[in-house]
Amino acid sequence: MWRDASTWAAEALAVFAKEWRCEFRTRYALNTLGLFAFTTLVVVSVSLGPVGVSTSRGTAVLPVLLWVILLFSAAAGLPRAFVQEEETQTATALRLAATPSALFCGKLLYGLTLTFALEILVTPVFVAMTSLDVKSPGLLAAVLAAGGFGLAAGSTLVAAIIAQARSKGTLFSVMAFPVLLPLLLIAVELSRGAVAGDPAGVALLQLLLYDASVTVAGFMLFPVVWNP
Amino acid sequence: MEPLKKLLAGLLWLWMSAVIAGAFLYAPLARGFIGQSSRILFFHVPMAWVSFVAFIAAGIWSLRFLYGGRQPRHDRAAAAAVELGLTFGVLATVTGALWARVMWGAYWNWDPRQTSIVVALLFYGAYLALRSSLEDRDQRARLSAAYAVLGLVVAPFLFFIMPRIMFSLHPQSVINAQGKVEMEPRMVQVLLAGSAGATALFFWIHNLQCRLAALLERNSAPLE
Amino acid sequence: MPAPRLRFANVRRRFGRLAVLNGVSGAVGPGEMLLVTGPNGSGKSTLLRCLAGLLAPDAGTIEYREDEGDPAVDAASRRKLAGTVSPDLAFYAELSVAENLAFFARLRRTPPDRGLAVLDRLGLPLDRPAGALSSGMRQRLRWAWALLHAPRLLLLDEPFQNFDAPGERAARELLAEHLAAGGLAVVANPSTLEFADVAGRLDLGR
Repeated sequence: MWRDASTWAAEALAVFAKEWRCEFRTRYALNTLGLFAFTTLVVVSVSLGPVGVSTSRGTAVLPVLLWVILLFSAAAGLPRAFVQEEETQTATALRLAATPSALFCGKLLYGLTLTFALEILVTPVFVAMTSLDVKSPGLLAAVLAAGGFGLAAGSTLVAAIIAQARSKGTLFSVMAFPVLLPLLLIAVELSRGAVAGDPAGVALLQLLLYDASVTVAGFMLFPVVWNP
Repeated sequence: MEPLKKLLAGLLWLWMSAVIAGAFLYAPLARGFIGQSSRILFFHVPMAWVSFVAFIAAGIWSLRFLYGGRQPRHDRAAAAAVELGLTFGVLATVTGALWARVMWGAYWNWDPRQTSIVVALLFYGAYLALRSSLEDRDQRARLSAAYAVLGLVVAPFLFFIMPRIMFSLHPQSVINAQGKVEMEPRMVQVLLAGSAGATALFFWIHNLQCRLAALLERNSAPLE
Repeated sequence: MPAPRLRFANVRRRFGRLAVLNGVSGAVGPGEMLLVTGPNGSGKSTLLRCLAGLLAPDAGTIEYREDEGDPAVDAASRRKLAGTVSPDLAFYAELSVAENLAFFARLRRTPPDRGLAVLDRLGLPLDRPAGALSSGMRQRLRWAWALLHAPRLLLLDEPFQNFDAPGERAARELLAEHLAAGGLAVVANPSTLEFADVAGRLDLGR
């Protein structure tokens, strides 16, 4: 049983490694995410930075915009994990060779690392460019980690669903938004609190609960989505 | 239609007529509401309730489809529940917006209940959009069922947890109150009766919808 | 020696209103090859995809046993156990041939040696990116991929498509060796190709 477990993990890691190896060769997702995030960052910070709007209003609005940037960047970059497999027809080989749960785990890890990388790049620049005074940076980091996790998990599962449909681009946004909205609203409230210096409260636990629920749902539903 | 079904349909008709009459004649006006506007309550709340029921029902039928042998009737039932949920949901949203206009001066405030119902509508729309983009019958059933189950997982956050976090303009609802009912008994009676009737109405229309879908399915049997 | 067996009965599958498979049956025993023939659109690929576990039939049964006396495995196991060659099998264009095989070998929890050995026989440069392969070379990669995990069941849909004469010769040898070792094969093919030692034929033409 231990040997089986370690080879399941090896499968998941193989998928994860393959994703990043292909990504580094084409740099497609990194470029898309990077360009998108940077462009929106510039727009936001110019129009709402310290020159653009009063500090108090900025404190209320800027956390929202940070999450909007993260959401749309994720929507631009994450679905590719599954959509590309179907479009390049490599999905058939994967269906025949891979264990579904290990495949989902590998793709999820890829989505997580992509999202966390995005957050690590975007957030400090965002805070600096808008001169946002974050009173509880530790809490903000925790919210970004928990929120980013949920963002990646939800997006990966929805990506798997839409990859087999037509009009995948619009369908992803339409389907992912209702799923991710509770996450986003809780994360925005917590982020506002982190900027203002409020304590976390039970909301952070609820965010983690959301993450756990969506991840478990992902693992349970993926085999059904992936195979006939 | 069989006599028993006719009887039940007739009873439902009478019940709903009584509810509507009761809404205007039997129940008193609520305190704190302007004019007759509190009457909307007796239509808005049952429809919002049914929309919620539809959401859960679609999720449960989808689970039965996925883990109960992939029977097409469960898939048809889930799809019908979503279509009805969308209809009732739109009606609930509109009546809610009208009431909000009268009470608070604005049709829309994005208070948590309003947010929840809109997100539910988005879910329904997304589900139907997904279905219409999939041609293969089995794929369509399987993928939309998975999405409905995902919706079921997210539903508690949508309907319960998120509203509690955010400040609410919504008046205390019967369903949420911690056992204490803050409304006059007659209002509560009409509300509960209306909700029960609307639920029965939902399942009746749903049953018709499923039977219709089954007939259409049979008529598109394979060409040899 | 293990004696694998494949049996399918009354397999039906339709797409929309078109009934592609209308109750197809067949059986293959150890060391045997089933040749499926029929014109374009007669359902050969559909049948093979059902056998591979990529499509669920609307009706009928498919039973595959790795050995005499074993219970029939489910579709998920069939997906993993069979070796498939089919025209819609594609590989990762950014990865080299060797990297592709190494990846799938890791998924199949087996060393990539067998696949590399097949490529050696068929002749394919290992460090070429899979996206830069000609169609004939892609077909060689498909064969190597199919034989990676030494499957006992081979499902071959147009297996010699795009092959030149040496490639086809080498592939036929591989197939013959597979059968001689007690493996099964189901080959779908337009009627023009000839095989020796065909144990069973299934013609899906109307």
